Amino acid sequence: MKRIYLYGMAMLIFIVLAGCGSRQDDGDGPVVLTIWHDKEAEVAAALQGKLDELRPDIVVTLERKSGLTETLKMVGNNPNAAPDMFFFAHDKIGVYAEMRILSPITDFVDAGVLAQFLPKTIEAATYNGVVYQLPLYFETLLFMHNRALMGDDEVPADTRELFRFMQRATGGGHFGFIEQFTNAYFVGGWIHGFGGELITADGVPRLNSPEVVAALHYYGRLVRLMPSEAEFATINTLFRESRAAATIGGPWLIPSVREAGIDLGLAPMPVVSETGMPLAPFMGVQGLHVLRVAAENPRRNEAIRTVLNHLVSTDIGVALARASGSAPALAASFDLSVIYNDEMVMMMKETAQSAIPMPNIPEMDIMWTVAAGMLVDIHFRGHEVERATETAQNRAEDLIALMR
Amino acid sequence: MHSGKGSKNAVKSWTALFPALLFIGLIILFPIGYTAYISLTNMNIFNWFDFRIIGFGNYRRALFVFNSGFLRALVVTVLWTALNMVFQLAIAFVMASLLNVRKLRLRRVYKTVLMFPWAMPGYVSILLWRHGMFNAQFGLVNQWLYTLGMEPRRWLADDFSAFVICMVVNLWLALPFMIMIMDGALQSLDKSYYESALIDGAGWFTRSVRLTIPAIRPIIAPAVIITLFTTFKQFDVIYLMTKQIGARTGANIHTVLTYAYESAFVTRNYGYSSAVSISIFVMLIGFSVLVAFLRRRGQKA
Amino acid sequence: MKRPVEKIGLLLLNIFFIAICFVVLVPILYALSISFNAQGGLLGSDFRFIPRDFTLAHYRAVLFDQPVLLWLGNTVVLAVSAVGIALAVSVPGAYSLSRFRFAGRQRVFSGLLMLHAFPAILSMFAIFRLLSPLGLINTRTGILIVYVGTMTVFGLLNLKGYFDSIPIEIEESAAIDGAGMWHTIKSILLPLARPALIVTGVMVMIFVWNEYIYAITFMTGASNYTLAVGLYTLQATEMTGSWPIFAAASIVVSLPILIIFFATQKYMTSGLTAGGVKG
Repeated sequence: MKRIYLYGMAMLIFIVLAGCGSRQDDGDGPVVLTIWHDKEAEVAAALQGKLDELRPDIVVTLERKSGLTETLKMVGNNPNAAPDMFFFAHDKIGVYAEMRILSPITDFVDAGVLAQFLPKTIEAATYNGVVYQLPLYFETLLFMHNRALMGDDEVPADTRELFRFMQRATGGGHFGFIEQFTNAYFVGGWIHGFGGELITADGVPRLNSPEVVAALHYYGRLVRLMPSEAEFATINTLFRESRAAATIGGPWLIPSVREAGIDLGLAPMPVVSETGMPLAPFMGVQGLHVLRVAAENPRRNEAIRTVLNHLVSTDIGVALARASGSAPALAASFDLSVIYNDEMVMMMKETAQSAIPMPNIPEMDIMWTVAAGMLVDIHFRGHEVERATETAQNRAEDLIALMR
Repeated sequence: MHSGKGSKNAVKSWTALFPALLFIGLIILFPIGYTAYISLTNMNIFNWFDFRIIGFGNYRRALFVFNSGFLRALVVTVLWTALNMVFQLAIAFVMASLLNVRKLRLRRVYKTVLMFPWAMPGYVSILLWRHGMFNAQFGLVNQWLYTLGMEPRRWLADDFSAFVICMVVNLWLALPFMIMIMDGALQSLDKSYYESALIDGAGWFTRSVRLTIPAIRPIIAPAVIITLFTTFKQFDVIYLMTKQIGARTGANIHTVLTYAYESAFVTRNYGYSSAVSISIFVMLIGFSVLVAFLRRRGQKA
Repeated sequence: MKRPVEKIGLLLLNIFFIAICFVVLVPILYALSISFNAQGGLLGSDFRFIPRDFTLAHYRAVLFDQPVLLWLGNTVVLAVSAVGIALAVSVPGAYSLSRFRFAGRQRVFSGLLMLHAFPAILSMFAIFRLLSPLGLINTRTGILIVYVGTMTVFGLLNLKGYFDSIPIEIEESAAIDGAGMWHTIKSILLPLARPALIVTGVMVMIFVWNEYIYAITFMTGASNYTLAVGLYTLQATEMTGSWPIFAAASIVVSLPILIIFFATQKYMTSGLTAGGVKG
């Protein structure tokens, strides 16, 4: 027993001290590239299919990573553990660019090629004047209505009509209009429609601006006609169960709504009666980002260039957009009949005209949290709008100061 | 064999302890030291890989975290810990004693069922409680109330009821472990200590206090102390029940950790967050040392 | 003695436990009901414990559309190794803490307790910095070291508490017979400490079984997933996932633990015979 024990201990020390193995692949044979992503299986399969066309010279493996954003922070500069690229929304670009783990996309794709994308998608991918993402598709929230409860002729053109409809249709466990009213991603549309913003492009919070205060005052009247719970499962379930006539929701909601047998209508965002501007939701652009450690390796660099340019094509953009229920990022895609005839995609393109790309600056991480706290204070704790926005503004300023 | 032999015994005992201490050193001690080191640097997303030592600046700023909000969180945390421990110990002891009644044939079935909350990953159970039981619109509790003709409530929006619910959820999660510990401890005792719990009634109670509890105290003490710290550090229950992004409920209850999370960790400033963590750690240790000191003085008196 | 009284008492006790078990199980029955329900998700305005539209489709989806067996295999390997190593290092350590009076013993003991005061939110990064240069990221060895390290404190303290309760005289009689420390541990202490060994082992196993934060970060790639990580990726978010499948998966993940728990119950009594030395 004693000998076994000592032997075990020696093994243990060996195991702990052993290792230091590293990934060596710079010989001949195909270049193997790894892409991390957080997408559904259909989206990954579509992308994989397109990338397999590059075999046998370049083999690309897609790996689904749940904790992608946190893991990248740890391994981002470690050539042995980091992926070569990752496939994610554009809104973390600022964080990674400041951490200096990203490579500019213009190192691989010519500026002329980037000009073929919808300008807003490139705007979303740009941080401090540098483009860090190759856009593939984008999504915005959509105004959806249940035709059985809100006919096409009842669709509100402006927020005043919307409010009147809500007053009529809400009661007895039924609602005229619902959305996730404590989530800044949703309320952002209202703030933008009133001409406000959560944070400026250079990172100054604007939560106590007159526009935000006006928007929240107005919005508060609507929230009083919304359910007692604001998280996504509740809101989506109410809409799916035909207990809400209209909602503003993401395209990912559509398949399950249709499955529930609802005659779904899509409509343009209502115009804010006070300002004449439509509700302007946030826009998210999904695409590929290249890690610097991969770009520094000449062989990988060459392969990454091939992969990215291979993906600048309408067919993959359309395939991904259809798999994910979003809209393609290449402008030319919208000339294709399969896109042109898709009501949902065209509505998203229309909404995108006024939509605001989610800020990609690092300070935005704090704004999501602080703004959510502010909305809860107003809607669930009954705080006055002026007081809540002032508190939130101070909080945001304090926390942003603490980032450095 | 535990006396005398001096250095030979010391070598032997340290050898036996070494592997355990090696693992603990790597996975628990090293991170504490590393965090202490990071707390002296300017590591944040703007200096992520090229951070350097800047001295005690982060601690100076960390002092601002310890404001009135922090004090309130501290009071809540102490209350939270004390109540949870009292309920846990009392309920677990009674349950374990009853489970050991001699002629209870279905004991194994009961024990297994009671372990179910522990067998599920914690985040799953908490999400079930949050959305299945206490959703204000659809939750089972409100559906039951509605069936009984009562008004549904926003259970998690109010500080007091949210605190109570979080405590219930925490007890639900933690009791299986405590029952198992107590059960294991009772097994080491002579059966006559507890077997007549059923027939003795009041006699059982006095006997528990006089004999059983003193007898199992040294056995359960480590587990109880570990649970004490775990309860103090509890984050998931309160965070997932009331503060999940997009599903905040409006309740404003904070323990020390959720408070530190929302006022330091969200900044992604690791130097600063590390300073806050180390400060909390030092405070906790100070607190435990004080408690131990007072206890020893109490025993002497 | 008092037969009828005892019978009624037992009956009441059984009723009590059945009631308690039901109360404890309510959230789990909820999950069970969702997982069998053909229509609807987590929420709905007309919930019932016995679904109107019964289906096994969600379980089929979990068991056949997801590489559950692969995840199960990964988890079992990790759990068994972690339990084995954790017990192997904790038993001698706890013995040493319990039986030897050596310089620094008290300090080691209270130091171990103190370590639990550290909020581990930040440990992840430090552990990454430790394992990465050793090449242990993405290896079973790496994650095992993390698991064993995390659970060893508990193992040491829990076993020490139990060893303390075992009278030293039993060992001394063995020592007179010339048995060494290792022999004493193996043939005398371990059988007596069976409940504590089981408690510790189950604790470590459940920890590994349900742990996902370290596993997600340190084990990349779907082929390395443990059950808890696989379950986590199935988790219903707004954009993906379905609650019924998630609920079915949670039940599937919990079942092996319950079976093991039920099976080990039999051995939960100490080797000490009633009225023995303890008295």
